[in-house]
Amino acid sequence: MKHLTLPNDIETIPRLNEFIDGFCEEQGISMDVCMSLNLAIEEAVVNVMNYAYPEGTAGHVDIEVDADKESITFVISDTGKPFDPTKKEDVDITLPAEKRTVGGLGIHLTRQIMDAVDYRYTDHRNILTLRKKIYKQKVL
Amino acid sequence: MIIITEEKEGLRAVFEGRLDTPAAVKAQQEVGPLLENADKTITLDCTNLDYISSSGLRLFLTIRKEASAKGGTVIIENINEEIRKVFMMTGFFNLFEIRNA
Repeated sequence: MKHLTLPNDIETIPRLNEFIDGFCEEQGISMDVCMSLNLAIEEAVVNVMNYAYPEGTAGHVDIEVDADKESITFVISDTGKPFDPTKKEDVDITLPAEKRTVGGLGIHLTRQIMDAVDYRYTDHRNILTLRKKIYKQKVL
Repeated sequence: MIIITEEKEGLRAVFEGRLDTPAAVKAQQEVGPLLENADKTITLDCTNLDYISSSGLRLFLTIRKEASAKGGTVIIENINEEIRKVFMMTGFFNLFEIRNA
C-alpha cells in the first residue's frame, strides 16, 4: 500500500503521475496499463481539485493504491462537499463536433478505463474506490 | 509549450511530451492564433506527444468547434498507441481527420 496527499492545486499533478509510475514499476505493471491508470486517476483527482472545495480555499486530496494478484485498487478521498461522480450522466461520444460539449470527458475516461468505480460518503469524506484488473508482466 | 508555424494552407501546431491537466491549462493561453485562423487548415502535430488528458482533449475539441464555425479543417497527425486508445474511448476518431505516417 502506498499513499500520497496533494493540495487542491492542479500544478501538483506531475507528482501524482510520478507516484503512479513508481507503483506500476514496483508491481511490474506494463507500460500501457500504467499509462491508462495515470489517465483514469488524474481525471478523478483533478475533479476533486477543481470542484470539491470552494474557490480560493485550501484543501487536500488523498490517494491510496494497493495491488493484489488480480487487481490494482485506488482510493481517492477528500473532505470537500459531497459529490458522487458515478451519478454523472455519461457523455454521448457519437455526436458530431458541433453538438459535442467540452465537459464530462474526464469522468467518462475514468469509467472507461477502470473495471469498477464505487462512491461512498462517510465521516464527512468523499471516498472514491477505483479498481482495475491487471495482468502482471513476468519479472525476469 | 506549443510551437506554431505558418504553412501554405494554414497553421501547424507541434505538441510535445505530456498534455496533462496543468500543461493543457497553459496551452489554452497559446492557441489564440489557431482559433483566429480556424477558417484555414490547422494541423495538430502529435508526433512527439506522449500523453493526453481530458483537458488536452477539450483543447482539441475547442479548436475543432471553431473550425466548423468558420469553415476550416483540423488535421491531427501521428498519434501514438496510447492516445489512439483515448481517441477510441471518447469518439474523437469521428471528429477529426487523423493522419498517421
